[in-house]
Amino acid sequence: MGELLVRPRLLWHALPWVIAVAFYFFAGGYLSLGTQVMIWILFTLSLDLVLGYAGIVTLGHAAFFGFGAYAAGIFCVRVTGDPLLGMVVATLLTGVVGFLTGILILHTTGVTFLMLSLAILSMLAEFANKANSLTGGDNGLQGMELSPLFGQFEFNMFGYTAYVYTLVVLFLWFLVSWRVVHSPFGRSLDGIRQSPRRMRAIGTPVWWRLVAIYTLSAAMAGSAGVLSAYAARFVGLSVLSLFTSGIVAVMLILGGVRRIYGAFIGAAVYYLVQDYTAKLNPYLWEFVIGGLLIVVVLFLEGGLMSLIDLMARPFRRSTKA
Amino acid sequence: MKRFASVLAAALAAFGMAGSASADTFKIGLIADYTGVFSTWGPQFQHAIEAFQMTHGKSVKGPKGETIDVQFVTRDSASQGPDKAKQLAEELILREKVNMLAGFDLSPHAMAMADLSKQAKVPVVIMNAATASITRMSPYFVRTSMTIPQYVQPIGKWLVDNGVKTAYVLVSDYAPGYDAEEYFIKSFTAAGGKIVDKARSPINNVDFSSYVEKVLQDKPDALYMFMPAGTPSINLVKAWSERGLKAAGIKLVGTGETQQIFLKNFTDDVQGVITSMHYTESNKRPENIAFKAALKKVGPNEEPDIASVGAWDGMQLIYMALAQLGAKAPGIEYINAMKGKKIESPRGPIMIDPETRDIIENVYIRKVEKVNGELTNVDVLTVPMVKDPWKEDHPLTN
Amino acid sequence: MAYALTILLDGVSFGMVLFVISVGLTVTMGMMRVVNLAHGSFAMAGGYIAAMMTQKGIDFHVAVVAGMLGAGVLGGICEFVFYRPLYRKGDLAQVLLTVGLVFISIASVTAIFGAFPYPLVMPKYMLELVDIGFRTYPAYRLFVLAVGGVAAAILWYVIEYSLIGAKVRAAVDNPRMARGVGMNVNLLFSLSFIVGCALAGLGGAIGAGMLSLEPAYALKYIVLFLVVVIVGGEGSFKGSFVAAMALGLIDTMGRYFIPDVAPYMLYVAVFFLLLWRPKGLLPPKSVA
Repeated sequence: MGELLVRPRLLWHALPWVIAVAFYFFAGGYLSLGTQVMIWILFTLSLDLVLGYAGIVTLGHAAFFGFGAYAAGIFCVRVTGDPLLGMVVATLLTGVVGFLTGILILHTTGVTFLMLSLAILSMLAEFANKANSLTGGDNGLQGMELSPLFGQFEFNMFGYTAYVYTLVVLFLWFLVSWRVVHSPFGRSLDGIRQSPRRMRAIGTPVWWRLVAIYTLSAAMAGSAGVLSAYAARFVGLSVLSLFTSGIVAVMLILGGVRRIYGAFIGAAVYYLVQDYTAKLNPYLWEFVIGGLLIVVVLFLEGGLMSLIDLMARPFRRSTKA
Repeated sequence: MKRFASVLAAALAAFGMAGSASADTFKIGLIADYTGVFSTWGPQFQHAIEAFQMTHGKSVKGPKGETIDVQFVTRDSASQGPDKAKQLAEELILREKVNMLAGFDLSPHAMAMADLSKQAKVPVVIMNAATASITRMSPYFVRTSMTIPQYVQPIGKWLVDNGVKTAYVLVSDYAPGYDAEEYFIKSFTAAGGKIVDKARSPINNVDFSSYVEKVLQDKPDALYMFMPAGTPSINLVKAWSERGLKAAGIKLVGTGETQQIFLKNFTDDVQGVITSMHYTESNKRPENIAFKAALKKVGPNEEPDIASVGAWDGMQLIYMALAQLGAKAPGIEYINAMKGKKIESPRGPIMIDPETRDIIENVYIRKVEKVNGELTNVDVLTVPMVKDPWKEDHPLTN
Repeated sequence: MAYALTILLDGVSFGMVLFVISVGLTVTMGMMRVVNLAHGSFAMAGGYIAAMMTQKGIDFHVAVVAGMLGAGVLGGICEFVFYRPLYRKGDLAQVLLTVGLVFISIASVTAIFGAFPYPLVMPKYMLELVDIGFRTYPAYRLFVLAVGGVAAAILWYVIEYSLIGAKVRAAVDNPRMARGVGMNVNLLFSLSFIVGCALAGLGGAIGAGMLSLEPAYALKYIVLFLVVVIVGGEGSFKGSFVAAMALGLIDTMGRYFIPDVAPYMLYVAVFFLLLWRPKGLLPPKSVA
């Protein structure tokens, strides 16, 4: 039995995707829940790249999520409802915003950077609030009518199209993240996080690498935002809130940083726990999440993934050490 | 915790009662803010519904004599805006298979239901949201609360009739604020009053010292205000007395800022504030006395407000529609059943306009006074059966 | 002219509240190097404790002191249970744990006091208008100015001229060195944290007329406090005083002159300020 669990690593890697595909068939009315979880997984994964791997502690990542959502929404309302074109355009635009803000603020570190990232988020949020005619202000963006995907598959409240679309986009970005993280570039980020000084000493263009990963991560978060807009066929100001930025960080640390799958577990667990406890009692979930955060930080440094590691240890062959 | 346990228990008990073959279930999805900055609204709906079901039972007798259990499935939109509300509504329709949606403390939440209600053919009872255009957004919408133009409009003429010739208008920078500003200015100037100046404060603003200073300099007869209920409204009223406007003889005029639930935040200085609103909690109607008594049974500190009365009346209409149609009618029939219905609400007589599916009700002009040692709103004028003026100003061009 | 003086008074009194609350945070962040996003919760706690007592009829001044002490005690408990383990952990862990504390504080306050704004009953004399020569001005704001001023003066004296003040400054500049010369830095950390929380509680109580008490307090205003600390320079008392005054004045002036743009203005100002001076306006001369 132990053999089966260790050798086909591929089996473990395939697991989340198998679950995702199976969910489509067995979910019933819960399908949209699955879509939401996947959107947050993508968003959390984007944060893992900047925060987990590159060590850029930002509380403003919702700026890119929200920008992507609004870009996609406004594109749909004003230009065309084509969901593929919208995704590409919004993702690229968000990447550009990520690039521009990155070159402005990435020379700072620590709390200064934190404040700057917050300032950018706040300015974007204020703008979205004020620019009523463009964004709908606090009423939200009305009138999003998405054209059917490939002319066939409608985006509607039943959410079948949204689920599959989200799954595919998530998978593609997952592949990108995996490649990046396991590349020499990804390794250099690890080094930058641990000691930028040393990396500079060996000639790494630290600042450029940071800008690069920040831009990529922004585009990725933007894609997540687009998916959010498409799944709901609606965009509200909450996509640009400090709360959203905070929650995605919570999901990341819950799952475990620098584990790729940490994002999967963190987002899924948080979302399901919050969904369940909120139904029981709307006041309970704040306690639960707060408590969870404290417990994870104090006792579970590696997040839930480290728990999984602990459980898998007896099954590991000694070669793995 | 207790409130939820009781709703949950009620639902379970209702299931228990549904043992006999002739019992149907009618599920209503309630969406409101229970946590976050708007968390005062959800509990109002909740308690009013509980009080109603305590008084009138949790089931209705349908047209064929069958028992219909009325169950609520509650979801917290957590002050996270219309996108969250839309998500919850979809869940309620797809997962919980609700027959009707109700609640909606804020206008954006109600607006987000428009497409859904049409696609899923689910009736929506709006119990608090006040933006005038909402009921036009879907034929499945009915509103039991109020619209801002409706309760703002009557004050203009009353002020001019009572010697107020000039006014400064200060509203919050969001859609309801714009509505209030527009309709106050319209009605005040139509009656012969003059607007000295106007300003809009940012929606989260809680420090009004600078705004109030400007008003003091302009010396109008009255300051007209419209602020989100809660800290902003409380602070503006306080600033009026604390920064010397009251002493300078400038009257303060508004709408919901002096509702009973807020009065305990003020000192006696709040006396003299004039407001126009569709519900004066201190009124002596028998329906109101019964309503308040029922609320006290749910919680001894429970105070009635616009959301609780909106929910209470919503329940009345829902029960009436169920008694007429049973639990299995198509969604639109429930809305049609409510059209034209007139009921005696704790606030006074109300009617659902058959054309607009919006509410027609009395508007009361009141002053804050001390009665029996307690600060309270005292009616000085009743304007009967006011229709929403926005709809008259913006007729549908078919 | 009277107008300008009013703006000055309004801005400075608001700045005083910000200073009293934020000074504890600048010590925590500068000395212990802990990013404490839960600082607003201690201010909130002080405010709620004081408010609760005034509602029960207890004298306002006693209630304020009680709020201050209560916040300090809470600070002591939290320091021991939650913050000690954080000293060695990274920024991210600190941010997240303190965010967890914020969540819990919001949920607790909602459970105990309810979701409505919670009034603090002020004594009669404070609600009156005092004639200060060119106009009448709310006594409450003058009270805040006085208390804030006294607190700032006492702090300044202690920091600059007392032995413990010198020790605190040393620990901020270079904790390792301070340990090296035999200072009990851990004790210093704990004491400073407790005093910082107590001051936050004081600020929360006296500032309740400006920053009103509601469950979302801990989340709503933390950005303001962080701005004061970062713009002033972490660990710098002078810096946080200057930053608090500046913030109070900019915010107030924004409201008076360009109310439409006021909320924007703050973030834009902070943004450019931090790009220009990433270490803050008056950072302590750190050797670390």
